[in-house]
Amino acid sequence: MIIYYNHKLKSRDKVIKMLKTLKDIVRKSSIHVCIVNCGGCNGCDVELVACLSPRYDLEQYGIYVHNNPREADVILVTGAVTEQWRENLRRIYAKAPEPKVVVAVGNCPQSGDVFAQEGGRVLAPVSDFIPVDAAIPGCPPRPSEILEAVLAVAPGAIAAKGRAQDKCE
Amino acid sequence: MILPIGPIHPGLKEPLRLKLQTQGEKVIKAEIDYGYVHRGIEKIMEGKTWQKCIYLAERICGICSYEHTQTFAETIELISGAQAPSRAQHLRVITNELDRIQSHLLANSTFYKTMDHETLFMQVLDLREYAMDAIELLTGNRVNMGWNVVGGVRMDAEQKHLDAILGKIAHIENNLDNHVALFEEGPILALRTKGVGVMTREEAIKGHAVGPIGRASGLKHDYRQDHHTYKDYFDFNPIWRKEGDNFARTMNRYDEIRQSIDLIKDAINNIPQGNIRVPVEVKSGYGEWRGEAPRGEVTYMIETNGNLIKRISIRTPSIMNIDSCARYMLKDVATVADAVTTYASADPCIACAERVAITDINTGKSVTKDFFEVNNSNLSNFEVE
Amino acid sequence: MASFIHYLYDFATKRWLDGFFNAKSKEDIAEKPDRFRDFPTVEKENCIACGSCTASCPSPNAIKLIRDSDSEDAHGLVYPEINKAACIRCGFCSEVCPSEPKTLFCGENHFIHEDFNIIPSKRKYIVDDYLCIKCHKCQDNCEVGAINLVDNRMVVNQSKCISCGKCLDVCPVKGAMKGVYIANLEEQKEIIDLTVKTLEEYIESRYDDFKEIHDDKLFLAELKFNPLYEKSLEIINDEELVSDVLDKAINRLNIRLVIWDYDKCTNCQLCVGECPTGAIKVDDTSSVIRDPNKCLRCSICYQTCPFDVVSYYSAKFNIDIKDGEKVIHITVKESQLAKRRA
Repeated sequence: MIIYYNHKLKSRDKVIKMLKTLKDIVRKSSIHVCIVNCGGCNGCDVELVACLSPRYDLEQYGIYVHNNPREADVILVTGAVTEQWRENLRRIYAKAPEPKVVVAVGNCPQSGDVFAQEGGRVLAPVSDFIPVDAAIPGCPPRPSEILEAVLAVAPGAIAAKGRAQDKCE
Repeated sequence: MILPIGPIHPGLKEPLRLKLQTQGEKVIKAEIDYGYVHRGIEKIMEGKTWQKCIYLAERICGICSYEHTQTFAETIELISGAQAPSRAQHLRVITNELDRIQSHLLANSTFYKTMDHETLFMQVLDLREYAMDAIELLTGNRVNMGWNVVGGVRMDAEQKHLDAILGKIAHIENNLDNHVALFEEGPILALRTKGVGVMTREEAIKGHAVGPIGRASGLKHDYRQDHHTYKDYFDFNPIWRKEGDNFARTMNRYDEIRQSIDLIKDAINNIPQGNIRVPVEVKSGYGEWRGEAPRGEVTYMIETNGNLIKRISIRTPSIMNIDSCARYMLKDVATVADAVTTYASADPCIACAERVAITDINTGKSVTKDFFEVNNSNLSNFEVE
Repeated sequence: MASFIHYLYDFATKRWLDGFFNAKSKEDIAEKPDRFRDFPTVEKENCIACGSCTASCPSPNAIKLIRDSDSEDAHGLVYPEINKAACIRCGFCSEVCPSEPKTLFCGENHFIHEDFNIIPSKRKYIVDDYLCIKCHKCQDNCEVGAINLVDNRMVVNQSKCISCGKCLDVCPVKGAMKGVYIANLEEQKEIIDLTVKTLEEYIESRYDDFKEIHDDKLFLAELKFNPLYEKSLEIINDEELVSDVLDKAINRLNIRLVIWDYDKCTNCQLCVGECPTGAIKVDDTSSVIRDPNKCLRCSICYQTCPFDVVSYYSAKFNIDIKDGEKVIHITVKESQLAKRRA
């Protein structure tokens, strides 16, 4: 509405630019996270829960663990992909709204860890199923490592993806 | 109406599907679908040496990873006729109880989270960090510790480490009472917990409930009282309650934390000097050993061939607890919100529970079954892995 | 009212405003304790390329031995490379690393003792005293100094051995240095049993071809190796172990064959009393019957029989490659033992 209120083209451009900057800031500072455990040992999940504790305090950076794929900006994947997740992982990824970022936490989603041996029923890596933007190594990574990696990747990637999406529209 | 919850749900951290049959808000019956995290660990272990398998056993479950390695190591020691030195046994007790403290604190904080009591959730989770610090200080890693080996433990603890652990433990002990009082005396919390999700003693026996869940329903059973280390060096009595509701389960965990703190202090003050590890030559044979994990009794059955593992079978406590939760606790819960809290109060650990996958030979699809059905059904049409 | 003002005042303090606008975690959360085991660090120069780190690693994709390209004056270095996406930070590679000083470091290394340097290996290396010529080649080539001369005998120190197998390659005497598979003994026995049975049945089935061969003349035959190999794999699915056991068994095997020609037998029953195990018996129709399962192949019946009923052969075997396929060469020869002639 503000856009049409300004009749002069120059000022309209200015407003759009300002709006986009505002959008960027909002996207960067309010990130909803969904944890998807697709067949891990639960170790990475408890370390993610530990990130919520007052000592690490993920929420002060505007990151909120909501565990709902439908309103997630960041999907944190843990665990090597098991048989049951073959289809469900793609479905969950499709449900998350654009722009979205996938971060693989721990070794399992990257290489299958100790389970990628003869006899194991895992289909790692996760990148065979959904595109992965960043990965955090460790079995499991320390909460400080998770925090560092998520903060380094997620806000920038979401903003960049958002800008790309805006251009397409 | 059938209300499905999960596998990805704000209230559940691990993938599992709860199917609640509801009438209005009231839950009439509950059903549980497993099978989301079956990885086939026992099959991977076959034909490998214990040096590799102990790290696989650790990764059965991330929360109670310690007890799995200890039970595995003690089973191999039993087969080989060896025993860890007494200093190593004391160090094992210290780590085991630290692991129990962090697991119980995590279980309680998750319970508060599902109840939407953010204050207690944050405070209890903060307290847990001190236990995690102590574990990291002693073993070198926070979750998967890589600390146990057959014949003892890998690292010796110096006096400064033990003193630091005592400091962390003292902090937990001083702060725990505030949180317990906040929970025990809060009138609104009492409305959400007392008399909700009741499991009687008879039902607990029928459902094979173990650990704090069984003990809160009046089953006075803790495997630690039969364990040789606790028998020889410590004065141990199981803690139990008889109400069997969410309140009792949570309080039972708090009481066990207090007991664990006492055990750690006792172990650190009376720790003997000496070796921490003896060389063990693994023999062929069969052994069966149990241990008390934070969630209940873990059983390892191992058959070895030379120094290789021929066949291994693991029975974890969670599968019985989750099933008795679905059968008896979730039955006739007043609201759906209470159903999720009741489920969280049973301290479920899905990664532990996924020990068997049953495949239908005719269709080739995997069939998920609960503990009771597996126990009572004729498995001739299915292929068990 | 006063409390409300106090409440508002709390928001106006500098401390609260600082905390609100510059929310930062305290720096101590990233601090790791001294004993924290991080990803292993690699000192390339110390590596002896023994491969014990890759053999001991519980995670299959975590460690790879890589080799730099050769320069003009030296060979490229060989050293382990850690894949962080698969490493589980257990520190086991650092514990087993035998080089001096160590190649791999992981966390605080004071937990590594000599006594516990156990590398998960299926083979155990031992020296055969009767065959050893004490050339010291294995001692010179051992990277970890596990082989030494003790009491004028070469001895492998098992706590130091890293199962690299170099001593096997350099040993000039075939069979003097042994890499024995210590596990799956029952299965190994079964494979040897199967080999002997298969070969014996095959030779007996071709008895008509070498019936007429006497004295020093040899009968040569060939049998394909693969069917036997596949049958052995059914017993235990370990290709390395099966081919090793079969190679050793077949190359050393010396089967003695006792073949009875019942047409010539006159039922004199001379052999019945001589047989040490009672394998030869007289049945209801008073004819003599031999039970091959009880027979020791001791040749007493061959030496006793005056009517040429019993013939006694010895067979030797050798594995060879012919047309790109493994075959077993069989050599059958009549025994030169003294014999009672009628």
